[in-house]
Amino acid sequence: MLKFLTDKTAPTTDEPLSLSRRGFIIGMTSVGLTLAFTRSPLSLADPTTAVAEGAFEPTIWFQVNKDGSIIVNITRAEMGQHIGTALARIVTDELEADWDKVSLRYVDSDPKWGYMVTGGSWSVWQSFTPLSHAGAAGRIALIEEAAKRLGVPADQCKARNSRVIAGDKSISYAELVSDGQISRSFSDEELKKMPIKPASERRAIGKDTRALDIPSKTNGEALYGLDAKVDGMVYARPIIPPTRYGSTIGKIDDSAARKIPGYLQTIQLEDPTETVQGWAMVIADSFHAATTAVDQIKVDWTPGDTANVDEQALIDHGFALIDKPETGVVVVDDGNVTKAFTEAESILQQEYITHGVLHFQLEPVNALALEKDGRWEIHTGNQWQSLILPVLAKALGVSEDKVVLRTYMLGGGFGRRLNGDYTVPAALAAKALGRPVKMVLTREDDMRFDSLRSPSAQRVRFAFNAEGEVTGMEHHAAAGWPTQVMAPSFLADGISGGKYDPFAIQGALHWYSVGSNRLRAISNDLANATFRPGWLRSVGSGWVNWALESAMDEAAHKAGQDPVEFRLSRLKAVGKNAGSAPNSVGGAARQANVLRRVREMSGWGSQMPTDTGLGVSTSYGQERNMPTWTACVARVHVDRETGRPTVEKLTLVTDAGTIVHPDGARAQVEGASLWGLSMALHEGTHFENGGVVDTNLNTYTPLRMRDIPEIEIAFIDSTETAVGLGEPATTVVAPAVANAIFAAVGVRMRELPIRADAIREALQTKTDTA
Amino acid sequence: MPIQFQINGKATTVDVPEDTPLLWVIRDDVGLTGTKFGCGIGMCGACTVHINGRATRSCITPVGSIAGTAVTTIEGLTQGGNHPLQQAWVEAQTPQCGYCQPGQIMQAAAMLREFPNPTDDQIDQIMSGNLCRCMAYLRIREAIKIAAGNMQADAAEGAAGGNGHA
Amino acid sequence: MVKSLTITILAILTGWLCLAIWQTPLDASEDNVTPTSTPEQVEHGRILAGIGNCATCHTASLDKPYAGGLDFPTDFGTLYSANITPDKETGIGDWSREAFIRAMRKGVAADGSYLYPAFPYTHFKNITDEDLDALYAYLMSLEPIAQEPPENELRFPFNLRFLQWGWQLLFFDDEPLQPDPERSAEWNRGAYLAEGLGHCTACHSPRNAFGAEKKDKAYAGALVDNWYAPALDASQPVPVHWDEKSLYAYLRTGQSDYQGTAVGSMGEVVHKGLKVAPDKDIRAMAAYLATLGGQSTVGGEKNEAAKLIEAAHQRVATNRSRGEELYISACAACHFNAPENPRALRAELSLNSAVTADDPSNLLRVTLQGVAANEGTPGIVMPAFATFSDDDIANLAEFLRSRAGRPPWSDVHERLKDLRQLQN
Repeated sequence: MLKFLTDKTAPTTDEPLSLSRRGFIIGMTSVGLTLAFTRSPLSLADPTTAVAEGAFEPTIWFQVNKDGSIIVNITRAEMGQHIGTALARIVTDELEADWDKVSLRYVDSDPKWGYMVTGGSWSVWQSFTPLSHAGAAGRIALIEEAAKRLGVPADQCKARNSRVIAGDKSISYAELVSDGQISRSFSDEELKKMPIKPASERRAIGKDTRALDIPSKTNGEALYGLDAKVDGMVYARPIIPPTRYGSTIGKIDDSAARKIPGYLQTIQLEDPTETVQGWAMVIADSFHAATTAVDQIKVDWTPGDTANVDEQALIDHGFALIDKPETGVVVVDDGNVTKAFTEAESILQQEYITHGVLHFQLEPVNALALEKDGRWEIHTGNQWQSLILPVLAKALGVSEDKVVLRTYMLGGGFGRRLNGDYTVPAALAAKALGRPVKMVLTREDDMRFDSLRSPSAQRVRFAFNAEGEVTGMEHHAAAGWPTQVMAPSFLADGISGGKYDPFAIQGALHWYSVGSNRLRAISNDLANATFRPGWLRSVGSGWVNWALESAMDEAAHKAGQDPVEFRLSRLKAVGKNAGSAPNSVGGAARQANVLRRVREMSGWGSQMPTDTGLGVSTSYGQERNMPTWTACVARVHVDRETGRPTVEKLTLVTDAGTIVHPDGARAQVEGASLWGLSMALHEGTHFENGGVVDTNLNTYTPLRMRDIPEIEIAFIDSTETAVGLGEPATTVVAPAVANAIFAAVGVRMRELPIRADAIREALQTKTDTA
Repeated sequence: MPIQFQINGKATTVDVPEDTPLLWVIRDDVGLTGTKFGCGIGMCGACTVHINGRATRSCITPVGSIAGTAVTTIEGLTQGGNHPLQQAWVEAQTPQCGYCQPGQIMQAAAMLREFPNPTDDQIDQIMSGNLCRCMAYLRIREAIKIAAGNMQADAAEGAAGGNGHA
Repeated sequence: MVKSLTITILAILTGWLCLAIWQTPLDASEDNVTPTSTPEQVEHGRILAGIGNCATCHTASLDKPYAGGLDFPTDFGTLYSANITPDKETGIGDWSREAFIRAMRKGVAADGSYLYPAFPYTHFKNITDEDLDALYAYLMSLEPIAQEPPENELRFPFNLRFLQWGWQLLFFDDEPLQPDPERSAEWNRGAYLAEGLGHCTACHSPRNAFGAEKKDKAYAGALVDNWYAPALDASQPVPVHWDEKSLYAYLRTGQSDYQGTAVGSMGEVVHKGLKVAPDKDIRAMAAYLATLGGQSTVGGEKNEAAKLIEAAHQRVATNRSRGEELYISACAACHFNAPENPRALRAELSLNSAVTADDPSNLLRVTLQGVAANEGTPGIVMPAFATFSDDDIANLAEFLRSRAGRPPWSDVHERLKDLRQLQN
């Protein structure tokens, strides 16, 4: 949903994420050549002076040092996707640089770097063209300089592996930079016209390489937020209040804690941003002292209004909202939907539920906050610096230019650290104490404070005519809306008025031709009030595709058709599903293609052993404007006695256009599909008394190694626009598994996670009624 | 009471309460941050170190219980970070976010001492105590097998070489 | 007339009783034999004190060895161990050799008062003169430490020491153990050590309502000091029975391949006491104790263990209970074994007595408090899982029991509550 991020209503710098419509300047500094995007025409006129004076207004992209080493600046959070490597490979390819000389620099939140967010699987997609241009501009400047030095026309020179070659003469980038006087600029128009290499000429993109961030992750050198430290800091652990919002502290009794060596004090946080409400922070010389002290301190709270909310209330409320036709926002309406259902020969209507999913990023949230030379520094791992910076400024009572987020590796992101709420209490405590504060949440604190994936309630309906064809479809989805709570300016406009959270419904704007389709997104206000709904890997696709692809399967069975055939016959690249350049070329035909491919690979239609079945599911990813075509077949065996499903194999096919970093892409699909499996069978929490019941691994049980199935992954060979692939595979696994369970033993699971008990009971019911 | 032990081959003495988890002593008192905090209840394995060569969850090990032992962290697994497992971890491009990986490697290193040629099932049984939230499990398993193979080959070569000299 | 006769008889009886109960105080001045000890005797005594594990019970704080004061909670109240350093005021500095021997063999202190059978004179009666002399020489060579142990806190009437006369009458036979001519010298040596100085059944036998060992249940296992001393007789809970080899390994190093690891009280016996004993004595005890369990699968234990472990694996292969999740996450990394090659350092929980015993105490206690480097297998640390909830631990225990093919324990929650209190 990039269009929403670039929406003019965004409270951010203009064109926050777009690197296009900028000039590019190249000039010398004392260390070498700097190559930067700029928007200032003055800089274009005198690049070297502009570079020397640091006047390249917004964004340095990379530099070539006098020793030939190349540093690419990375503004994205490194959280396992090896994004720095992928982005640097794009630059390297057009720059014709020697990859061995390339290194990465992860930058802080200085505004010069532009808008900073890492999420939505956007990074490669958004950066591909501007970074290609940057690399190409650098190559052109270096070739021009080399031509002068070698005394040959520039068009007879080519660049390879950090050298410019003309016939039998050549010169290295290092030589060119060390004594050259390169000064060059490219206007906005020149950049736009600059050709990007054809795929056949690519030497880095699409070729395997080793990710640059990996070695330091094998020897303990990689620094994460938890590893941040400064002299004189004290440790803090919060005492998490009984409700996410509205708790107020009456009295704090720390008399028992005072006996703990290292315990200093407990402070009550006053947060003008209301990010944290009713928080007390325990301050100590060591984290152990702070941790043990928390257990000894008694806090009398008046809890907020949601203290009695439980899971059933959240789900019931979702369905109650769905029952009211006037609630929510219509996102898709092809017209004539009511007619289709009125005239239908038969109607299939089913309801689907998903329960909360906790991020459980392995590094509990933490932040080190300090004031230095009149500027606040927040040391932490974060995915959306530009979102939390204004909040921090308000919390600290300073202007935004007085706050900077220092960048660290993320011990898991998965969307948790898009929401930077955890930086606020650390900053408040540091301000209150007048000294650096390192706040670390225990796992239990982290889980209770998580902005989890909201539970959801959904209803899907299909209208069939007398011939058994689908003539209409309705999909109603109610859940907590993260964007509404945390970044309302990114809400999208519904087609019949009102605003909706695009991230909470994405994945349901499908490419199937189903006659008339209507999609309604509903914000579950009780969920929004009870907890802070979070963006969690693929966000809404995680639940809407569960309902959509389960319902498609049910519809296929009702129509008496093979589930793959049923889908294929509806994936027609016509009308609104035809697709368009540059992002969705091919449209529904490409989704049909991955589906056909997964059918071949998975042995679809072959004889299965007893109580074993194949289930299929597909997705376009999250955004119609950035489709990542994905299909999955799961092979599942069900133990009839216990109901336990064993996923024996997952087969996945992905079409993500051009694949920049093939091995990294594969790793993302491996991880994402196992995430999908984990959420399908192993995770899931529920609310009791206004909070989640699962606070650690004793009861919250993500997939472990012994339960991984065989996985077969294929990518469609493509030179189309590179799109993101960190998330889509998460969304296809659960419906594929549920559909396979149906194929194996004939019971339909409509609630996530799927528990063995539920299957066993369903089998029992089936036997009893048979 | 001061507690003495070795860490990565160096004698060290810390003066902290005996119930302090070894993890925090290593991170905050000794200053080695490669060992990570994940769950605090011994169920994720991010804090795995070796105590006298055996993989141990340091987050629930009181420092008072390890007096006199030799503790090894990821930083001290080998000089220069070139343990066959670390090499295999790079070869298989195993880490994603990387946060769990020091613990995974320490657990795997201890395992290979007792299961030099582990089967898939043995790897699963022993490594399932180490959670990888990025779910890079396929590559963790693959890297372990690469390392086990290389270590066996090296051992065989070493033995053959030894015989040759004799 | 009848009444006066009754009174007369009662008076005579009382007088006789008094005479019978009365024990002469013995002090050093009355002892004609001035103890002369050789360095060899002292050294021999040091080893014997180790085998008898005297220090464990007679030391309350490590900087005051043998100075007593350690508390022993019993059903009758709390006892405190005596100071057995040669301090004249508070210890046994003015005890004669004769007094010492009488205490060891008859359970009567130097001042003539009766000792409670928490002090295992019921076993020490079996010790030879020579060994007692050596022990005496060793104890008298210790640094005297002035420390008065606290007064015992026994309920009436158990606080009346003279009643111990009756106890002795009922439960104590001061005849020393006789060698069994049918058995080897090694076996007899082992029996002498185990039944005498080693006083194994003091912990490993259940006791009756009066606190006396049940003779007919020798080595049938008992709960002592909140540790379960497992049965070593034919009812022993370990599926691979103890044999000479495993007992030797266990008593020598604190660990055996299949049966268990010495922690808690037994950890002290092995690591503090038996540590000083010569190998031949350890072997002798192993030879003797191995015969308590009846037929053992000599030589076949490896196959037997492999079969049992394989069966345990099969039993839970498809189990995904809460307990199983906890086991695979928190336990298996250290405790998983390949059936064909279980390792002592990876204590195999389907064979281990902590799991297979009818009493859950050992498993629960080790789970809660872990095993420090200086306990159990030296240098090997087990973390403390006290952060687990009672439900977690109960689930885990139930899983481990089912994995070992045993019925669930019924009293896990109650035991946990007690054991957690011990922790705090």
